[in-house]
Amino acid sequence: MDVWRVVDELVCTRRLPGLGQASLRVLRGQRGETMVATDPVGVPPGKWVFTCVGTAARLAMPDPNTYTDLTICGIIEGWDES
Amino acid sequence: MRIMRVEKTLVSTSRIDAFGHRPLLVVQEKAGGTRSVAVDSVGCVPGDWVICVSSSAARDAAGARDFPSDLTIVGIIDRWDPEAP
Repeated sequence: MDVWRVVDELVCTRRLPGLGQASLRVLRGQRGETMVATDPVGVPPGKWVFTCVGTAARLAMPDPNTYTDLTICGIIEGWDES
Repeated sequence: MRIMRVEKTLVSTSRIDAFGHRPLLVVQEKAGGTRSVAVDSVGCVPGDWVICVSSSAARDAAGARDFPSDLTIVGIIDRWDPEAP
């Protein structure tokens, strides 16, 4: 599981029905890379989170049939950025 | 999921049967970056910023659990600024 910082919410109106109404977040990784994750938690921008990838990301969603490969599993408290 | 920009449609006549007539698009993570090929299940036009899913979700999103895709477009982003910090 990887550690990311939530940068922003992502608005995506035209989407496949299989993505449902899942909230999307833009994440910035520890090496500066950008990714999009589904968010079943409800994380505000600025928080550090950990995610799971692949099929585990689908199992982490309330509906495991959601079309996702990266899901936020929890907010990290007191993450040391260095 | 990765944020990518649709560059153009990909023409491939000789393809494996499993791909059917699914539209394929050339996508790029940033200008001048590596190009990838994605299955388009949404109906995008060149210039759209989209989110692409991989893993088993890519196969499902492409239409069937046994569809041989590892990169499928699942949505078009309403507004995206690639220059944003």
